[in-house]
Amino acid sequence: MSQLAVADQEVAMAVKPAAPARPSVVSLSGITKSFGPTLANAGIDLSVRAGDVIGLVGGNGAGKSTLMRILCGAMWPTLGAISFAGEEVAFAAYDTGEAQRRGIRMVHQELSLCANLSVAENFFLETPGDSASQPGWRALYRTRARAALDAVFPGNGIDADTEVGHLTIAERQMVEIARAAATPGVKLIVLDEPTSSLDLDRSKQLRAFIRERTKAGLAFIFISHKLQEIIDIATEVVVLRNGRTAWQGHAADASIGKLVQLMGGDANPVHQHAVATASSQDVLVRLSGPLTAALGRDIDIVRGEIVGLAGLEGSGQKELLHAIFSPDRKRHAGVSRRAEAGFIAGDRQKEGVFPLWSVLSNISIGALARRSALGLVSDRANRDTATGAAGKLRLDDKRFQSNITELSGGNQQKALVARALVADTPVILLDDPTRGVDIATKQDFYRLCNEVARGGRALVWHTTEDAELLACDRVLVFSGGRIVKELAGEAITEQAIVGASFAQSADGQASAAGKRTALAGFGRKLVNAAPFIGLATVLAIMVAINPAVASTFGLDLLLMPALSLVLVTAAQMFIVGGSEIDLGVGAFAGLVSVLSATLLYDQPSLGALALVAALAAYAGLGGVIQARKIPAIVVTLGASFIWVGIGYALQPTPGGASPDWLTALFGWSIGFMPTSIIMIVAVALIVLAVDRLPLGVVLRGFGNNPAAMIRSGWSPTRYALVRYLIAGLFAGAAGLSLTAINTASDINSGNSYTLLSVAAVVMGGCSLLGGIISPVGAVAGAVTLSLIGALLGTLSVSSDYNAATQGLILIALLTLRSLTADRRSEL
Amino acid sequence: MSAFASFGAWAQRNRWIWAAIGVLILWLVLSVVTNRFSLSSLSGVMLSASFLTVVGVGQMFVVTTGRGNIDLSVASVITLSAFVALLTVKGQDANLAIGVIAAVVLGLAVGALNSLLIVGLGIPAIIATLATGYVLATATLLSNKAIPGFAVSPALKDLATGRISGVPIMAVIAIIGVAATSFVLRYTVFGQLLSAVGQNRTAARLAGIRNGPVIASAFVISSVLASLDGLLLGAYIGGAFLEMGQPYLLQSIAAVVLGGTLIFGGSATALGTLFASILLILIVTTMQIIGLPPGVQDIVQGIVVIFVLALAGRQALARRASVDLADGDKDATAKTEAGAATVLPK
Repeated sequence: MSQLAVADQEVAMAVKPAAPARPSVVSLSGITKSFGPTLANAGIDLSVRAGDVIGLVGGNGAGKSTLMRILCGAMWPTLGAISFAGEEVAFAAYDTGEAQRRGIRMVHQELSLCANLSVAENFFLETPGDSASQPGWRALYRTRARAALDAVFPGNGIDADTEVGHLTIAERQMVEIARAAATPGVKLIVLDEPTSSLDLDRSKQLRAFIRERTKAGLAFIFISHKLQEIIDIATEVVVLRNGRTAWQGHAADASIGKLVQLMGGDANPVHQHAVATASSQDVLVRLSGPLTAALGRDIDIVRGEIVGLAGLEGSGQKELLHAIFSPDRKRHAGVSRRAEAGFIAGDRQKEGVFPLWSVLSNISIGALARRSALGLVSDRANRDTATGAAGKLRLDDKRFQSNITELSGGNQQKALVARALVADTPVILLDDPTRGVDIATKQDFYRLCNEVARGGRALVWHTTEDAELLACDRVLVFSGGRIVKELAGEAITEQAIVGASFAQSADGQASAAGKRTALAGFGRKLVNAAPFIGLATVLAIMVAINPAVASTFGLDLLLMPALSLVLVTAAQMFIVGGSEIDLGVGAFAGLVSVLSATLLYDQPSLGALALVAALAAYAGLGGVIQARKIPAIVVTLGASFIWVGIGYALQPTPGGASPDWLTALFGWSIGFMPTSIIMIVAVALIVLAVDRLPLGVVLRGFGNNPAAMIRSGWSPTRYALVRYLIAGLFAGAAGLSLTAINTASDINSGNSYTLLSVAAVVMGGCSLLGGIISPVGAVAGAVTLSLIGALLGTLSVSSDYNAATQGLILIALLTLRSLTADRRSEL
Repeated sequence: MSAFASFGAWAQRNRWIWAAIGVLILWLVLSVVTNRFSLSSLSGVMLSASFLTVVGVGQMFVVTTGRGNIDLSVASVITLSAFVALLTVKGQDANLAIGVIAAVVLGLAVGALNSLLIVGLGIPAIIATLATGYVLATATLLSNKAIPGFAVSPALKDLATGRISGVPIMAVIAIIGVAATSFVLRYTVFGQLLSAVGQNRTAARLAGIRNGPVIASAFVISSVLASLDGLLLGAYIGGAFLEMGQPYLLQSIAAVVLGGTLIFGGSATALGTLFASILLILIVTTMQIIGLPPGVQDIVQGIVVIFVLALAGRQALARRASVDLADGDKDATAKTEAGAATVLPK
């Protein structure tokens, strides 16, 4: 690791003894946290004083993240206390918001930014309140973002107006670090693997910045698996192991070797196994093409060997595993597999376990997946197969009937390995399988890997623990998405692996990503223009056939009915922006229409009250959906029955009358310009304005990355209420417009708008995944859809084809979009 | 006490019991309050519930594929199928086979279209089935103009309305269907694959399951069942009318959720769907007996759905939490995200 170690004198500077009487910032004592039978933290004490840089190290699953989550208020400990500057705070009153008020900021690994917002807007999310309501708030945060980025990373060249989603991982990490560092009143910054994606220069800049700020009394907790950085920057080092403090002391007393030993990492695992000779007929996987271009030859993976994949996080190891698992001719032409492959995921909760099932079912699915779907399942047969596999793993078969989630991480992992064993595939792919697994299980695991390989299978093993690679026969080192080095036998050393990982980390990655965004961007632009092209086409055809359409009166006649749909679409767009769909929005507009034509007409004050109550109920629905985490689609579908039911009870048959002021509100005219166009444009502008306000930014943030928003201290329930309130206001306006335009009401008048609004929103280019709102496009989509009927009339096609035309347009657009968008394989 | 606790544990695994208890209580209350309520009136409720059960079971397959998947096209399929039946059977028993084949083909075609959009093109299920529903609505309007008259084949009418020693034939069909579905879910490989896909799609793919065909078959089953249901429902009401399938959209989802199938997918109970269908029809019947206006009936149905979901939501939350906490170390998620962001060079 010598090429990475920083100059000795720098180390010496960092550990220069500081003044003894520095004030305490925060102190945790006796922190214990249990998850069922496992203790993630056991009696940990941690005290941070102003100007400290605490290096926190420990293997995966050592309890670092749990401890930090407790420190930042994201989780409460089972036992323990926290105090700020000597003042004890009860955990019951301690949450992420409180932690932030007390000056604690945490930099997570790139997860805490909203990718759909600009850099400046992300800065706003972290520190709102500072004159955010004034016009020009964006400029303020733009300046602040620029200054903060330049302070930490001089010469970074990041534009504060760029969408975060368009930045590289390293740039995102830089934004995240700068954002935390720039927070006013911050006292302690927790940096979780801050340099995992940064190159050496940026990493040095960061460390220089930390040194600078500690002089002013700012404290840091620095978590990193790059131990040389810890020794370089930390004043004090805390080593965690199995949830306990294994060592705590001055950085001057620590060395890499000592830390590795303390973390429980077996510094030199024995190289136990070596494949005899690669015979060509036993080749199971072949890698070629650009992937192996740097080596100048193909790589064959043969029966009986363990091949390790190494390199910095995210250099392409995982992608290769997935490419081998499901070879895709187009994307990975260079990867070919000649035998069936099984997969063992290390990210158990996301990619591994089936949480509703017993351990036995979780194991036997491996064999079932490869049988005919019409076959029958027998518990006895399942048990027989699973017992053999479990025995090899020392997994107790008495636990077969327990739910998988009741098992510890290590035992869950054993079950996943057993699943791969019962599948009995010649190739087994392992994706960091020992993550968060205890030492004993790891030992079982290494032994088993050898046994399995010796039994004539090929193992491809991606690991984030470099030491584990020493157990492999061959190691492929990745950098920038390519294999840059192949190590075999005695040549496999941690030093060689790390050296090769860093060798060419700069190239490749950025250009490939750039090309992809450019191409996808063009396709997306084309699809986004579709509603406008569609609208123009529809109008052009109608004018061509009947020139009277182009007159002020003609346009008004055509477009006035579109206004209600435009308003409902605006409502739906805010809901979709939060990655939900409201199937009751049209019915709600119908209800408001009924209320305004009956109660509001007869008894204005009572009517107004009823409208407010309806709006409150609608907003409350949003709160319920968020608070209970229930699917909005079904809830709003249920609510639609309530809206229709109320309307029906109030007014069984269409009728009522529009209040004069309401008719006047929608019935004015300024002569040369069609009223309807003015109002539709006004609606689009209002939506656009709301979207540009800080409120709109927060709502979009929630649509994209709710977890990050909660971490930044925003209340999800409050903003769900606000989101539905805004939607309710637009839907309510739609209801009023229905009454005014029809001069009467009908509870069913809004029903067709629900589905049309979803179609319009999707046509307009909003993402159903949430977070992307395009008001102008959606309005254009709504107008286009509402003109379809008139267009068919002009073309003398029966109005029966109205719905089908709308449906086909929707299908065509979605098809286009799914073909242009870069869709990650979800299935 | 321990009996109570063990019942709780048992009910946790057999969630259909709550709907069954609901049916029992409501029926007893109705029998006591109104003297005229009896076993024979329950068989009338059973008959109506059977039509709901058939479409509900189909919806249950879709819901079980997870990701909040719902088939919004069932309502249009039911309506269209009833019209197609009128067009093909023309009131003649001789044409019945053609009618059944037409219904099955219609279901297969709609299911295949939905699957193509959802699995093939990756369009969210709700939008895809919504779009399909639009197209079917036009087909319904067209067939409404083409139908020769409201004649129903006598044999089909017997099937839909007849009774064997007091028990409606439809109820027998529904019960047999539910039993068959329960068997498929519990004892066939397909049932296990469906559950796996619904619980954790990524894990299912990595376990070697081909998710696409599993999800597609759920949508096909839903459409075929809805189509057959439309055929029978048309015979039951003696014709077809526009929007006749509409009530079955919310009610089928309500029956699925009320029955104990998890709305987040991965766990289905056909028995629960059956009992929940009966419960829903009982609720509607009760409201009719009390003499509530139709508007209020809608309100009550809406409230029941939201209320049950809000209750069930907590269970799902607890489950999610236990999964989240099973791995203490969140490093895992962060790293996956980082890894997923890079791509192999072309």
